[in-house]
Amino acid sequence: MKAFDIAFKDLTRSFRSAFAVVFMFGVPLLVTGMFYFMFGNIASNGEFTLPKTKVVIANLDEGGPKFQVNPKNIPGGKKADTMGDLIVNILQSEDMADLIEVTLVPDAETARSSVDNQINQVAIIIPSDFSHQFADVDGKAVIEFYQDPTLTLGPAIMRSILNRFMDGMAGVKIAVNVFLDEADSSEAMLTGQVVQQYLKVSLSENENVEEELLDVRAPSSGEIDKETETQNLLLNIIGPIMGGMMVFYAYFTGTSTAQSILREEEERTLPRLFTTPTSQTTILAGKFLSVFMTVGVQVFVLLVSAHFLFKIQWGDYLSVILMSAGIIFSASSFGIFVNSFLKNTKQGGVLFGGVLTVTGMIGMIKIFAMNSPIAAKMGDTISLLVPQGWAIRGLMQAMNSEPINEILITMLASLLWSAVFFAVGVWRFNKRYT
Amino acid sequence: MINVPAIAVLGLHKSFGGNQAVQGVNFEVKQGEIFSLLGPNGAGKTTTISMLSCLLRPDEGDAHVMGHSIRSDPTGVKSVLGVVPQDLALYEDLTARENLSFWGKMYGLRGSKLKLRVDEVLEVIGLRDRANERVNKYSGGMKRRVNIGVALLHKPKVIYMDEPTVGIDPQSRRNILDSVVALKNEGMTVLYTTHYMEEAQELSDHVAIMDHGKLIACGTHEELVKLVGQQTRIDLTLNGDSENVMGAWKNIDGVSRVSSEDGLVSVLVKDSNQILPHLFEAAAQLSIRITSVDIREPNLEALFLHLTGRALRD
Repeated sequence: MKAFDIAFKDLTRSFRSAFAVVFMFGVPLLVTGMFYFMFGNIASNGEFTLPKTKVVIANLDEGGPKFQVNPKNIPGGKKADTMGDLIVNILQSEDMADLIEVTLVPDAETARSSVDNQINQVAIIIPSDFSHQFADVDGKAVIEFYQDPTLTLGPAIMRSILNRFMDGMAGVKIAVNVFLDEADSSEAMLTGQVVQQYLKVSLSENENVEEELLDVRAPSSGEIDKETETQNLLLNIIGPIMGGMMVFYAYFTGTSTAQSILREEEERTLPRLFTTPTSQTTILAGKFLSVFMTVGVQVFVLLVSAHFLFKIQWGDYLSVILMSAGIIFSASSFGIFVNSFLKNTKQGGVLFGGVLTVTGMIGMIKIFAMNSPIAAKMGDTISLLVPQGWAIRGLMQAMNSEPINEILITMLASLLWSAVFFAVGVWRFNKRYT
Repeated sequence: MINVPAIAVLGLHKSFGGNQAVQGVNFEVKQGEIFSLLGPNGAGKTTTISMLSCLLRPDEGDAHVMGHSIRSDPTGVKSVLGVVPQDLALYEDLTARENLSFWGKMYGLRGSKLKLRVDEVLEVIGLRDRANERVNKYSGGMKRRVNIGVALLHKPKVIYMDEPTVGIDPQSRRNILDSVVALKNEGMTVLYTTHYMEEAQELSDHVAIMDHGKLIACGTHEELVKLVGQQTRIDLTLNGDSENVMGAWKNIDGVSRVSSEDGLVSVLVKDSNQILPHLFEAAAQLSIRITSVDIREPNLEALFLHLTGRALRD
């Protein structure tokens, strides 16, 4: 009972300190809130808005063997007499309208000078023998791609679209050659149907070229509306950041609260406690309990606040309980452990500035590197060298709805860290006051 | 329990590294009396109190508080003991009432008994009206009163007060001295440490004088003064080299001791009226002017000077 009295007294003192409250709750929520508003703007649009790439096309293709494509298979539905017409029609289709703005010019020089004068960003010059070369088994159909060297993104998108198209055309050419090799001469008239069929398949696959090239939305399953999709994107960014902040500051709270043992020694209240008929074990148990309770309150408040403020889904109840227990025990015991090595609170500055910041950052590597699969994998391994890394791993597992046995293993690892920290911390404090 | 001494100290020793802080201290405090430990800073008073509070374990010796051994029954000792530490030991971000409630719980008080006792103590220390203010809003004197109040919560039989008047204003000091007498009147035994001779003289039934970790004298005020042989102390301030004149004064009949500290020369004499003209005469022969004279009748300070050759200064 006396241990709880000591713990409640410490809890009261902690939450009376405006500085402590701001640090425990305000800062993690504020930092996450900043990210929320920063990314919220992008997410609410559902996509990144890119300026249109200005493209000038000089279609000099004079055509070749009789070649027609069913307009149904061309985005925009226009008739194409030559391969050059086919490219122009695709680039002028409505599907591309959000990405590129096409201007047609009669000759190559005008197209190039248009780019040189920065009127357009990319010039596409389709040579006069383009269809012919395409139809020739040994021919080489080449499109000239002329771009403003100071630009990167727009031309890169354009180049990607053209590459896809040319890959498709190369496929048509191979299909025709194979058909002609295999078919009887009486079946040569069916060549056009082969081309039609190939284009039908390949072009229909390319209907959502823009989406394939620029899909930045969060993974989603099933039929979801635009608002939900936007929210998912936001949460994929905000969730881990909030989790990381929570773990980072929980360790600060654990260490700061455990420092109250040293602070009470300096304020002379701890020696006075030792003059009361309360055993040393009870006094230290009360002090340790206060650390666990303070971190516990912090984690609970942050979990609930983040859920309501940022709509973060932490996972199912059992996962959240396991993951929270891992964070609370490891943060608290870590605080007791590191403080047991300090002579006084003045040394705490080194602790906060050095040990906690460095280990906290190492623990959060995975979050910083989550957009790069290779870095994330490496970061995941490195982060497990510190207890914060295990706490964050448990958190991410719960958020990703991973199987409970996986979360349990992570939590047990966290508890193992905690047990070692706690044992060493208690042993050192007991030794100090005996 | 009626006949046992409140405190019986039996050959306590405590060393810190090579420094012997307490060396074989023995004394006994009767129930219901005020017993002062008097000595300069560093004499070993706080170390002795710390051992008697079970905060420090003695290297040798033992002590009994209301019959409980500090070695074998520290919990028994703590249950009959209230400690007022030298430094304020309060939670300044809690109110006076919250402080008293918390400390009361640490002494095992609960529920209505705790609430009643907190109210009583607030009344005793005169802070009932401001009980719900945080301690960090209080003046130094008010904090001292709360500091004392904490030790009274469980109605201890013995109370230790370790230099409770250090660094406070005269009015608060007076209040504290009055409250010590009030505690005695309520039947409590008070072990009071101080380096203010006047406080020990005013309050105490018995005084023990400590210096360099040793108890050099112990008894009532009258008993201790007798040790000086009813000698009077004359403090003189000189304008010139004191070494020569001190040598001359030592040779005067009726002068038992001459010492100097911080420019003040102290002379112990049997009869100040008879000796004083000789002191002036010797100084004049050496062309040294006496700029001030202070005659002090026998007291504890004179005793300290007599026993140690040094003045007992603040």
